[in-house]
Amino acid sequence: MSTGQAILAGWMENPLSAAAERARIEAEEAELAALLATLVDRYSGTLYRVAFSVLRNPADAEDAVQEAFLRVLRHRDTLPEVRDHRVWLIRIVWNVVLDRKRRAKTRPETDDVAELARVLPSSGLSAEEIAAAAQHHARVLACVERLPAKERQVLLLSAFEELTSVEIATVLGITESSVRSRLFRARNLMAELLDHARSLR
Amino acid sequence: MNISPDNSVKNMGMAEGAGANGGAASIDAALRAIAHAPVPAGIEERVHAALRSAPRHSLVLAWPAAFAGNSNWLRAAAAAAIVFVVAGGGWGVYMHVQRPMAGVVTIPVAQPAAGGGFSSAGAMRTPATVKGPMAVQPASRAQAKHRKKAGATAKVQPVPAAAAK
Repeated sequence: MSTGQAILAGWMENPLSAAAERARIEAEEAELAALLATLVDRYSGTLYRVAFSVLRNPADAEDAVQEAFLRVLRHRDTLPEVRDHRVWLIRIVWNVVLDRKRRAKTRPETDDVAELARVLPSSGLSAEEIAAAAQHHARVLACVERLPAKERQVLLLSAFEELTSVEIATVLGITESSVRSRLFRARNLMAELLDHARSLR
Repeated sequence: MNISPDNSVKNMGMAEGAGANGGAASIDAALRAIAHAPVPAGIEERVHAALRSAPRHSLVLAWPAAFAGNSNWLRAAAAAAIVFVVAGGGWGVYMHVQRPMAGVVTIPVAQPAAGGGFSSAGAMRTPATVKGPMAVQPASRAQAKHRKKAGATAKVQPVPAAAAK
């Protein structure tokens, strides 16, 4: 082999190494796809509930979950570096949901009692009980909507038993003590708002 | 406090009658009911379908399949052609750009001022000269009062000889 050919061979891509590289990339892609599929199977429900707690519309919540997983797909290279996939996914869907909520500000809320009665869990309850529960929940949720955004977000996330205060802090990007103080403020404000609503009735 | 979402009505009923503590319980009950909203059936399949239909790879120009297997020389020829085109293009641009000749200084021809130009640009400003006597005003009211008391009226200063000319 002449010097020129040697330089050319070094410069040009070696077909054998290229094939090996391609095989390695394909194997990595397959691994990531399998991981993503596992995440979808495992956390779709959780993400849906998180999205629903803010949007309160089943179709919008499902769209938010799909959008969150599409974002994950776009950034799937970072998947192996993520320590806690659940909190990471909740954070993504939380951002998606807040974006949607911000964009859809003018759209009417779906907090009407009939919609809540249809959506909320109601196994073993009579129709009257379901209606009463829906009415009460609608009242509480109307008060939740009147809370300042920071307090409202912490209060909504605190309702998820799966999330500790540390995880809520990670989702919101704040400290754990901030979570606690905001939760305390939110509960006090909610009690005041409910009292006020009760006194008006 | 652990409130099952399905029992939220009963919890709520207890809570409503239990004062401030009950208020917190009713808030929890409502929020947990929302947090335990039933997940629609088949959501995972729909998410999988959405992921499958999403574009995965960015569009990259691929090497034609007919040339894929063999021949380094073909790749070398393609690379040489690219180098030739780039170098030729650069040379063409270089040849078409006229360089200024060294040692020759071109002086721009002075153009007469057009009608729309600033006509007063070259005008020399002359101060307005005073022809007659000028009354010197007192600096302040207090000063004027003082002068009045002293019987002094505003002085009429003679015009300097140079200015009078």
